[in-house]
Amino acid sequence: MNRLLVVDDEANIRLLYSEELADEGYVVETAATIAEAVEKLAQQGFDLAVLDIKLKNESGIDLLQKIVKERHDMPVILCSAFSCYKDDFSAWLADSYVVKSGDLTELKEEIKRVLAKKAQRRSAEM
Amino acid sequence: MDATSTTEWECCWDRDSIAMGDCPHIGEGDEDLLLSRSRRILEKCCECEGFARDLIRFRDSGHPLAPIFSILHADYRRQKNQIQSLGAFLDTKTLEVRFLHELGSVLQSSLDLDEVLSVALTAITAGKGFGMNRAFLLLADKERHILKGHLAIGPRSAEEAGQTWHEIESGDQDLQGLSQVFRKHKLNAERDKFHDILERLTIPLDDEQHVIVRALEERKPLLINDAFHRQDVDMEFARLLGVDTFIVLPLIARNRRVGVIIADNFITHRTISEQDMQSIENFTFPVAFAIERASLYERLQEKVDKLRQVNLRLQEQQEQLVRMEKMALVGRITSSIAHSIRNPLMVIGGFARSILKNTPDNDPKRTFIESIVTEAHQLEEVLGEILTYSDALFPTCDFWDPNQLVESALRDVQERAMAQDYQCCFHAAEDLPAVYIDFKQTSYCIRNILLSTIDGLQNGSIDISNRAEGEHVDVRIVDSSRTLSEDELEALLTPFSETREMGSGLSMALSRSMLDKQNIPLVVIAPPEGGVTYIIKLPTRKEVSYEQTAGS
Repeated sequence: MNRLLVVDDEANIRLLYSEELADEGYVVETAATIAEAVEKLAQQGFDLAVLDIKLKNESGIDLLQKIVKERHDMPVILCSAFSCYKDDFSAWLADSYVVKSGDLTELKEEIKRVLAKKAQRRSAEM
Repeated sequence: MDATSTTEWECCWDRDSIAMGDCPHIGEGDEDLLLSRSRRILEKCCECEGFARDLIRFRDSGHPLAPIFSILHADYRRQKNQIQSLGAFLDTKTLEVRFLHELGSVLQSSLDLDEVLSVALTAITAGKGFGMNRAFLLLADKERHILKGHLAIGPRSAEEAGQTWHEIESGDQDLQGLSQVFRKHKLNAERDKFHDILERLTIPLDDEQHVIVRALEERKPLLINDAFHRQDVDMEFARLLGVDTFIVLPLIARNRRVGVIIADNFITHRTISEQDMQSIENFTFPVAFAIERASLYERLQEKVDKLRQVNLRLQEQQEQLVRMEKMALVGRITSSIAHSIRNPLMVIGGFARSILKNTPDNDPKRTFIESIVTEAHQLEEVLGEILTYSDALFPTCDFWDPNQLVESALRDVQERAMAQDYQCCFHAAEDLPAVYIDFKQTSYCIRNILLSTIDGLQNGSIDISNRAEGEHVDVRIVDSSRTLSEDELEALLTPFSETREMGSGLSMALSRSMLDKQNIPLVVIAPPEGGVTYIIKLPTRKEVSYEQTAGS
């Protein structure tokens, strides 16, 4: 089972993602802050991270850069209410970008696609 | 016969008084001379042929005083003639001074170059002025270092001369009146009339051999006679003027070479005297100063106009800056509100979907949950549009392929069109120029137009074409399936119109607003007989706007 880390400062959104993504068969861990996320990332292995961009006074982009630097094998999907981040160069480090919506179909499809791509890459390396 | 003793003199000089009719030289108005013998002798008798014959008789009489009388009489007549010619000269000079004074007042008070030139050239050619037939004015172009034909006045044929001079004579106008008429009605016509000569009257200022440049260098007028046979006159120049005698009047103001006036008697061939030259020379000083002053004033005016325009542009830019700041503020507020709403809305919609998944089909509450899902989704779409609207306040333009633009928009709506069995036919023109647009926004606008066309209809068709129109590429979207009333058309382009559903209420108005920001007009034509045509005029150059080129 793939392990996902969801980082969002909104408790309800963390709950929604946990429920919905667990229904899809993933093991979901959540974090409300960058510090919490970093801690969990250090303790456990994850196959993919879903990051919100605006985390109260912090930026998910900073966390994205940290992950890319330290855990470059772990794909990241940015998920935000700000569609304009699609045009931001710093957001291009992410493997995918999804605009937040009550309909999680797009997010679920992107998670599947990115994980499949990661698996392909791994098998090619082996 | 002793002439001194007889009273039979032919003239009346020996009589104290005479009657009217006794002297053939005394007429009406001279009655006082009938009774004043001394005045009669001095004013009339000395000029009388009878008196001359009486003197001869007296001389023939052998009287010793007789030769003295003859000498005195001859000298008296010589001196009288001299006084008369001096008087005439004085009269001429008085007239000339008056004329120059009149001219000077007009020239000094005018700051209009055309008015100054009209007065100057009219003064040279008018009978009440210097009475020359033609005058050419060449002005110095300091940048190009040449003298260039600027204006000419006068007839080009004897027939025209007769007609013009007749008009002037019957008009009985003073110099100022004549120059005003000239400026108002004839200035441009004369310029056109002499266009062929003026165009070729170009003399380099460094050609010191040229007689015109020489006059400027020597700062004195030159009378050129026998122009066709002189070494110092260029043959082509003489042929251009078509006369063998002309005067060259240099115009110099404060050591600056302003220009030259060339004048001639092309029609009458009247001899140009030294006195003519002197009179005209006096006139050239105020003319040179007036031209210099008017030219400077004209340049000053140009600078002032430019400054005014720059000022105006600066003001406009300031206003635009204020507007943009306001718009940016509106954008920030809109964006902030939209984002604040989006997260809770997403949670509501998300959980409603979760609950709906686990709710059996026969559960009576399912309809309510479905409503929450639908409404939340619709609100999310509206929020998306509001956020796009605030993003659209500042377009980022670049050059793009117009066909690629339409194809990109078509790809986005293809799925919906197919679902509704709608035919979208695109006729891509070849060799179209690139268009200067914000690709993302413009593509969004075309997509919105297509979606609003497809929306709610089945089995329709849309025809899309691209074609170059001057400095634009027109994208025409023709929907032949729909008919819009005037109200519907207005509602279509009004933001948050109440006649449309919430979800699409903003899209067309937003499209129009986005295109407006890029100076791209969206024209919607909806004739009462049916069909709707959307025309988007995409500029092919950075600075092209629809207003500039179409004038509407």
